[in-house]
Amino acid sequence: MDWLHFVLAPQVINGLSIGVAVVLMALGLTIIFGLLDVINMAHGEFYAIGAYVAVALIAAGLPFWWALALTPPLMAVIGYATERGLIQRVFHSGDRHTLTLLLTFGLSIVVEDVLKLIFGANPLRIDAPIEGATEMLGLFFPNYRLFVMLFGAMVIAAVWILVFRTSLGAMVRAAAYDRHMTASLGVPVNVVYAATFAFGVALAGLAGVLLAPIYSVFPTMGTDFVLIAFSVVIIGGMGSIKGAVIAGLVLTQIQSISSLWISPVWSDPLLFGIMVVVLMWRPQGLFGRLGHG
Amino acid sequence: MADAVVLPTPKAELSPTRAIGATRWIAIFFFAIALAFAIVAKSLGDTFYLRLATEALIFGGLALSVDLLLGCTGLLPLGQALFFGLGAYASALTLKSWGDSFWIALAVGACVSALVGIVAGLIAIRSKGVYFALISFGLAQVVSKIVFNTRELGASDGIIGVPPAAVLPGVASTDPVAFFLVTLAFVALVYAGLAYVMETPFGRQLAAIRSNQHRLAFIGFDPKRAKLAVFVLAAAIAGASGALYPMMRGFVSPELMFFQVSGNAVINVIVGGTGTLIGPLYGAALLTALRSVIGSYTEHHQIVIGVLFMVVVIVAPKGLIGYAAALIQRRRTRTAA
Repeated sequence: MDWLHFVLAPQVINGLSIGVAVVLMALGLTIIFGLLDVINMAHGEFYAIGAYVAVALIAAGLPFWWALALTPPLMAVIGYATERGLIQRVFHSGDRHTLTLLLTFGLSIVVEDVLKLIFGANPLRIDAPIEGATEMLGLFFPNYRLFVMLFGAMVIAAVWILVFRTSLGAMVRAAAYDRHMTASLGVPVNVVYAATFAFGVALAGLAGVLLAPIYSVFPTMGTDFVLIAFSVVIIGGMGSIKGAVIAGLVLTQIQSISSLWISPVWSDPLLFGIMVVVLMWRPQGLFGRLGHG
Repeated sequence: MADAVVLPTPKAELSPTRAIGATRWIAIFFFAIALAFAIVAKSLGDTFYLRLATEALIFGGLALSVDLLLGCTGLLPLGQALFFGLGAYASALTLKSWGDSFWIALAVGACVSALVGIVAGLIAIRSKGVYFALISFGLAQVVSKIVFNTRELGASDGIIGVPPAAVLPGVASTDPVAFFLVTLAFVALVYAGLAYVMETPFGRQLAAIRSNQHRLAFIGFDPKRAKLAVFVLAAAIAGASGALYPMMRGFVSPELMFFQVSGNAVINVIVGGTGTLIGPLYGAALLTALRSVIGSYTEHHQIVIGVLFMVVVIVAPKGLIGYAAALIQRRRTRTAA
């Protein structure tokens, strides 16, 4: 009992606060893939840009909460411009999968070095806006982590409602199922595409801000983090929202709890092993694609 | 006449075999220039540029293995550095503990990578398209992290103090001109070998997989078997190229397996021209030179390389040699008709 209480419970809570951030990243990836058929290799870099935007806003004298509120819309603008200026240029070519993947990969190289040029290679830190810890059942949990958990869960719920319960979401799902039919029904499909890409980028940026006070901020921070998000999306099913949420929470819990026994070095191989096993069993991932069934 | 019965594909595109055939003179030109460069460098007593060119050729070998998968078979590998790094480590360990034979180190590097390639291939070829790209990326990421944290392999420091290899009695890898020529011969052999393979029935199967792997199954071939074979072949080529690295530099580090190396190999292939085999060598030479030139002005050379790469992807997705090949092919058809 004591073990459950004092050893396991804190790991579960830690895992959850990271889990919601991973889910936010994975949601962005999976929505972009589900609708646009684009593997966004620069997703980790958008996460890093989000964290750096927050660093810059806070350095300019704004409080953390303003940074949290302003970063996602700023990221959405960046995302919209990226889709319109870059992705659209190769979107209609025959080999869309490979070309968009290569293009976003090129973008990730440029962004990483630009961040290094502007902010330097050394890690920066943001102070947690909420100090202290809350005592629950005889355990202390850092308040900021609890906030990340609750806030992240609310955003995830909002995304769910937006995609599945609003007419906006219906347009997105319809365009994912059949873009030509949707276009002939009067939906401005190109705008929907760009807006969806912007939305996914904004989610990545939001994850970047939320985790900035927990981890440090450095130019390559996205590269490691995006690997987990990719595993989540592959296991959950490319383009599946339900899959991203479930696989994201389960995988981060496995990672968090397994760290009680194995060194963190082995947690990536463990996640990867799980991914391989799932792919052998269900090559298309656990759940179906956005707009399909 | 045989061409007359082939149904036109919706998108008229150069098949790898055609592209390689059309660029034969461009390939011969590449190796001639390389030889001329060696003579000039030798007479000027240069070491720096010879080493740089040797490195370009070594990474050109890696780029060839990427083009075999991407250009010839249609599989995009984002973790080919895994096999390059394995070959480098195997070669370094062999040179350190077994003696200075170039040939044994090269063979061990290629074999280790091929063996790991069988295991990795069985996992990776189950998936296709973007899944294949992401799984190869993940595999490399995981193994490089394990190597980075394994003290027996020198962890983050890698293995230093690798002794030079003896290619022939009296010819050591420390001689810049000799080792450049050895590397050039190696790359030329790999290029010629792959150009030949693409002419064989096996090569035709690969080209078929690139076009449509389901149809390959309809005419009685197992696409999985061909994919595994080509994956292992590419792993062995990457491993053999990697085996040359410690002979020249005298050390290996886990960075050799990192995504940057895999990514650079893909950039070399795309900029040079996918599916032409010689394009990747031009790409590796061009980009290594570019990195060295820009690197002397700024440490942020990745911005320039990244932008160049994005421009190529948008404006000229066939790459430099890809366009040249298409041009030559068009002129040939016109003369023939």
